Amino acid sequence: MQENPLHPFELHNFIPIEVSGLDISINQAVLTMWIVVALVAVLMMMASSARRLVPGKLQSLAELLVEFIRGIILDTMGERGMKFFPLVTTLFLFILFCNLIGLVPGSYTVTSQIVVTALFAFAVYGLSLVMGVALHGAKFLGILVPPGTPAWLVPLMIPIELISQLARPISLAVRLFANMTAGHVILGVLFGLTVSGGVLIGWLPFAFTIAMNGLELGIAFIQAYIFTVLTCVYLGDAFHLHGHDEHAH
Amino acid sequence: MPQFETHFYSSLIFWEIVSFAILFFILYKYAFPPLLRVLEERERKIKDSLDEAERHRSEAERTLREYEAKLAAVSKEAETLLAAARERAQRLLEENEQRMTAEAERIKGDALREIEQERRRAMQEIRSQTTELALMVAEQVLQRSLTDADHRRLADEALAALTRSSHQ
Repeated sequence: MQENPLHPFELHNFIPIEVSGLDISINQAVLTMWIVVALVAVLMMMASSARRLVPGKLQSLAELLVEFIRGIILDTMGERGMKFFPLVTTLFLFILFCNLIGLVPGSYTVTSQIVVTALFAFAVYGLSLVMGVALHGAKFLGILVPPGTPAWLVPLMIPIELISQLARPISLAVRLFANMTAGHVILGVLFGLTVSGGVLIGWLPFAFTIAMNGLELGIAFIQAYIFTVLTCVYLGDAFHLHGHDEHAH
Repeated sequence: MPQFETHFYSSLIFWEIVSFAILFFILYKYAFPPLLRVLEERERKIKDSLDEAERHRSEAERTLREYEAKLAAVSKEAETLLAAARERAQRLLEENEQRMTAEAERIKGDALREIEQERRRAMQEIRSQTTELALMVAEQVLQRSLTDADHRRLADEALAALTRSSHQ
């Protein structure tokens, strides 16, 4: 019997909680978020507690991460963007570990929930808007008119740019959600084939499952990276307005 | 798709905000500062080491230049000394030569003067002896007495003749 490949995305409330009409029940996704928080917190605390000038393995890894995020921030926002370092790094680690934990068979992939990725995406985009307005005031509306646009094209450019701006959080949210969902659907289908194929033919989809898992591991990293880079790019756009438009794509 | 079942959204949004806030707080408070500090410290240490190396290098270069300058000064001094010594030797040699020449000149002059003196004395002697001899010969040849005036005139004539012949 073929299992429904969307079955792994179903949520079940273990502990129903309702606070003044707001449903905040505990389900697999919430539990996984807690695991992620605990894991990341413990790993990063261990990595940072050594504080040796010549780092150990875990400290090296953490420093690699710090340098990695720092590189992204410096590329997109410059030295001033370093005040976003804690936010960007936390975001990266949270998404990365949600993606990675989702690859453990039987676990839940938090980032395959559109509402989770959308919240991050809109929060990041909202932050960039707030920062842009705070830094540039009304001039921030100039983000809708790319530099060098002829005056007669402005009425055309504003709707186009408006759409491209609105597409930013949506694409950011959907990209992560769709990648995570699609990967797990494929894994589910292949595993379903393995189960229904039996010993004689079932090893073939099973081998594919293993290969796909390897691929998904890469995708987990890449999607976390893309999300982080785009976050920095959007924040950087709000920083520079038109200063560094080559980073906007 | 189960992801679009909206009745889970409120709990997911709530717990996502709470989880992220907690993680952010923990990392912001405890993990990032030491990590960033270690990185900064290492950066500073490397920069310090490089600076120090640069300082040592420039110091060594300066010392080398100092020694080279000193060496050049010493060699110049030695050259000066050598030149002075050579000049002095040359001067001494010339002085010596001059003195020798002067001495030789003086000795030669002395000798010449002595010879001249001797010659004069000899001439004087010869002249007086000759006069006497001539008188004696004349007296015997003439066998007559002559007046004093005659004597004188004859003697003078003889002397003049003698002087002329001795000068030739």
